[in-house]
Amino acid sequence: MNDNNQEPIIILQDVCKFFGDFQALRNINLQVKKGQRIVVCGPSGSGKSTMIRCINRLEEHDSGKIIVSGRELTSTVKDIDAVRREVGMVFQNFNLFPHLTAIKNLMLALKLVRKMNKSQAQETAMRFLERVRIPEQADKYPIQLSGGQQQRVAIARALCMNPEVMLFDEPTSALDPEMISEVLDVMIDLVNDGLTMICVTHEMGFARSVADSIVFMDWGEIVEMKSPDEFFENPESERTKLFLSQILSH
Amino acid sequence: MADLSVWWDDYFWGAMTVLKVFGVSVIMTVIFGLIGASAKLSKSRIAHKIASAYTIAFRGTPELLVLLIFYFGSAITLTSITHIFSPETQFVDIPPFWAGSFAIALIVGSYATETFRGAFLGVDPGVVEASQALGISNVHTFFYVRIPQMWRLALPSFGNHMLSLMKDTALISIIGLEEILFVAEMATAVTYKPFLMYMIVALIYLSITTVITLVVMGLEKIANRHLEGAP
Amino acid sequence: MTFEFLLILESIPKMLAGLGITIQLLFLSSFFGLCLGIILLLMRISGRWYLSFPAFMYIYFFRGTPILVQIFVIYHGFPQFEFIRESIFWPILREPFGCATLSLSLNSAAYVSEILRGGYLGVEKGLHEAGMALGLSKYHRFFFVTTPIAVRLALPAYSNDFISMIKATALASTITLMDMTGVARTIVSKTFAPYEIFIAAAIIYLIITWFFQRGFGLFEKRISRYTIR
Repeated sequence: MNDNNQEPIIILQDVCKFFGDFQALRNINLQVKKGQRIVVCGPSGSGKSTMIRCINRLEEHDSGKIIVSGRELTSTVKDIDAVRREVGMVFQNFNLFPHLTAIKNLMLALKLVRKMNKSQAQETAMRFLERVRIPEQADKYPIQLSGGQQQRVAIARALCMNPEVMLFDEPTSALDPEMISEVLDVMIDLVNDGLTMICVTHEMGFARSVADSIVFMDWGEIVEMKSPDEFFENPESERTKLFLSQILSH
Repeated sequence: MADLSVWWDDYFWGAMTVLKVFGVSVIMTVIFGLIGASAKLSKSRIAHKIASAYTIAFRGTPELLVLLIFYFGSAITLTSITHIFSPETQFVDIPPFWAGSFAIALIVGSYATETFRGAFLGVDPGVVEASQALGISNVHTFFYVRIPQMWRLALPSFGNHMLSLMKDTALISIIGLEEILFVAEMATAVTYKPFLMYMIVALIYLSITTVITLVVMGLEKIANRHLEGAP
Repeated sequence: MTFEFLLILESIPKMLAGLGITIQLLFLSSFFGLCLGIILLLMRISGRWYLSFPAFMYIYFFRGTPILVQIFVIYHGFPQFEFIRESIFWPILREPFGCATLSLSLNSAAYVSEILRGGYLGVEKGLHEAGMALGLSKYHRFFFVTTPIAVRLALPAYSNDFISMIKATALASTITLMDMTGVARTIVSKTFAPYEIFIAAAIIYLIITWFFQRGFGLFEKRISRYTIR
């Protein structure tokens, strides 16, 4: 395939989404190229999570187009499955399978979706557990792991499926402060290896150092999209300025 | 006590019959319960209505009556149909073993439907989303993610359903199944000691229900294994 | 093979007679079952082993064996003993109705006592302690504080058990009692119309069940009115 960063991996075109009467997404237009690292920020309820959840069809968009790796996302099961294979997701609440050990958490999808046999799956899974630096916890159940460890397993689980893009939905918001950095360090590692990423987060320090593009959302719209330096130094809109003043005051 | 030793054999085989009925019924109960729960949780209104009718009908009707409707009803139907083809047949029925197992499985299945429904609702929706996000199909998600988590929640109530099921097997003797109550009847005619003979039946049932209770307690330990050892 | 509605209409009067027996059986067994159940409960929670152990064994036996077997033991089994045949209870124990009432009462007592015990265990410890702090005697606490709350907690389970009792009465037909199921079986054996008659009987049971469920529901609401904010 063409590796020149020409075709965007993800295209959102005039995407709208309603929850009953409430409009959660208003005409979202966004393009993500391979290798990009996009951070999405904004106040609560601005539609950030809704937007990325539409990308892998955990939410259904009501109008507009979503195209992932050249494939349009429709209500057809085949399209949805194809898109979900290319998009990996990490959740705020980790959502590890509680009845499976860490390594089995990774192996489940490898066996069912990638159709690997047990030894292949085990080998692949161990490799990724090493990548996120917790191979020794392979046989522990999620409840025996700390929040930071659980999230790293969750990252490995999404990553070992070899997706084109990784979506992170507030990956550190449910963590105790001392565990946030272990997860962010892993994410920085992955990004330095060339991972394409869209990350919803409140961690502005992370955004500033890692992102190549920051998207600010408010009331369901994309208000601004800029490089980190421009975003923090020269925000255009009043709303962006307000948000930054609130976030950066501590 | 000399009377007893003669009947040991019969009681034993009667008990084996009871256990076979129980085994077959358990499997059917689980299937009916899962189908019913899925129907109640699905988006289809028709499925929901049918499942509701099922639970209301079978939970409000005496078990004996259900058994009688099922056995005699199917017998009459089968006899009429067979009569068309070979007029000299007197009586065709579904063997009491199968008619009975099926009927009691339908009854307890209606309770299991509610139990399973509640248990499915107790599964963490976030974990189901994670499974979907990984591209795991709905069918696979159902068997590999939902069921393993839901059976832990269903187990205590399901254990009670199993005890009810076991005790309901006694009813099948009414439609002619030759199990331990039948043995007691025969033995009474010979020994004139009905109290003793029927108490033996009671004690056999008591032993089996005790074993079931212990097994369920053991299963509960296993099901909650992955929750021990939080740091 | 037609569905004969006429047959149902003709059978209804007889079935209603059977219904009368069913209802009598239901209320008598529930009443005695409740009385005995309360006694068993008090024995169970008495803390004295010579009371709680027998109660436990009783409950274990009656909950672990099928009702049908219990009915047979009493109806077929008791006549084996001369002392029963010569006792003052013989007129009752000779009759199917007496035996059915006795066995359903004994059975019900076991379940009811466990249900009530569940209610008692559900009363928060804090309330016991508040009662003690106020200087209420053990018996005062039991009657005026614990019991009302325990009853409220136990009510849903009790109503379920009552509904089960309605269904259990049908088993009396196996010892020739002409309750609704007994009548239905007799009619069916003469008319060979199992679907029509049994389904009609089932519908009547469903109506009775629905009626009592509503009744209990309203009672629960009334009792729980102080828990709604």
